[in-house]
Amino acid sequence: MDGLDWTASAMRAARAQLDIATHNLANASTDGYRKSAAAVALTERGLTVASHATHEQGAVRSTGRAFDLALLGDGVFHAGDVATRSGAFTRDRDGWIVDDRGRRLHGEHGALRVSERAKIDADGMVHDGGRVVDRIPLPPGTHLLAGALETSTVNPIGETLAILTAQRAFETAQKTLLAIDATRDKTANDVVRVR
Amino acid sequence: MNRAMYAAASGMAAQQTQLEIVADNLANADVAGFKSAAATFADVRAGSIGLGTTGVGKHAVFAQGKLVRSGGAFDVAIDGQGFFAVQRGGAHAYTRNGEFAREADGTLRNSAGWALSGVRIPADAIAVRVERDGRVVVDAAGAKNQVIARLRLASFASPDALRPLGATLFAATDASGRARMFVPGGRDGPALAFGMLERSNVSVIEAMMQILGAQRAYEANAKGVQAADEMLRIANNLHRG
Repeated sequence: MDGLDWTASAMRAARAQLDIATHNLANASTDGYRKSAAAVALTERGLTVASHATHEQGAVRSTGRAFDLALLGDGVFHAGDVATRSGAFTRDRDGWIVDDRGRRLHGEHGALRVSERAKIDADGMVHDGGRVVDRIPLPPGTHLLAGALETSTVNPIGETLAILTAQRAFETAQKTLLAIDATRDKTANDVVRVR
Repeated sequence: MNRAMYAAASGMAAQQTQLEIVADNLANADVAGFKSAAATFADVRAGSIGLGTTGVGKHAVFAQGKLVRSGGAFDVAIDGQGFFAVQRGGAHAYTRNGEFAREADGTLRNSAGWALSGVRIPADAIAVRVERDGRVVVDAAGAKNQVIARLRLASFASPDALRPLGATLFAATDASGRARMFVPGGRDGPALAFGMLERSNVSVIEAMMQILGAQRAYEANAKGVQAADEMLRIANNLHRG
């Protein structure tokens, strides 16, 4: 690793930070989205950036729809074959609880199928017709709030700041790279002049 | 940097959609029986790589609006779930807007000309009222308290899948299931309130907040596009010709 490699890795890192910040920002209105954080590490291959999920609880807004579910705490919903924190579910004509892409919400005993009057309580119990028909699995300490959605945890100000920081870091690295290049240019062309 | 640019652009598009929906809600905040709409977004990922956001659906929010006493002679509101079944020509639709007027042919029609199904007021009727269980009671010159019809309400297996037709009208779809007609006024069930209208369920304050948020988020995403562009420019300047 010489100076050029180091500065190039710094530019790549700034670009990766920009990717993460813009992805976060794009999801400022995605319910259930938890922002990704950039972890910058110094390795022998230069600067590397990894994105990892954060676990901050998002604010909860009430929606007035009975099958909108907000997770208070950790955990995910199993909808079809995906795990998601987005709790925008609705009941389809056959009674399945589905998300906007038609994937069925799973309880402990498979996909949930309920009547219109079904209620989901804070512990994930699905009450239908006066009895508990299934349970949405939740980790200990996590509760559910029906009729509400967890909003995105993205803070646009913080992400804008991250974008500006990445941009300046990129610029600084580029300037450094040019300086190194200029030094080598001098070495190669001016220090020893062969006639 | 292109990834960042496209992610930021997808965020701008999402905020634009959000703004359009909220503006529409706000515009209809004073329309009786209007149900606000909401958009759902999802993040787009390829493994651990974030690629922005995408809209996955828009749906009406059928939460109850406040019932207010109104001046109209044939105004009726639904307290609870269900829809009025209306028809025009051969077309059927469903609405929560109970702002009807009596026409010369005896039908009760709303301002767009949709008639309440199953009701025809006799020409000699002096006063008409609707009971909470849907009975339409008419006082005529000779006879008082004649029950001339019974209003039934429509319910759907999946009201979220109804197709909006204009501000307050909805049409049944395959996904919503067919309308099931039921008699209102049962215990704990939906009931009718005569002389009342259901206000829209749009919260103006909340809509204003959503507009402000969408606007700022749009600007922030635009900054993301700019930054990606700027970094491309800087990268291009690496080579001094």
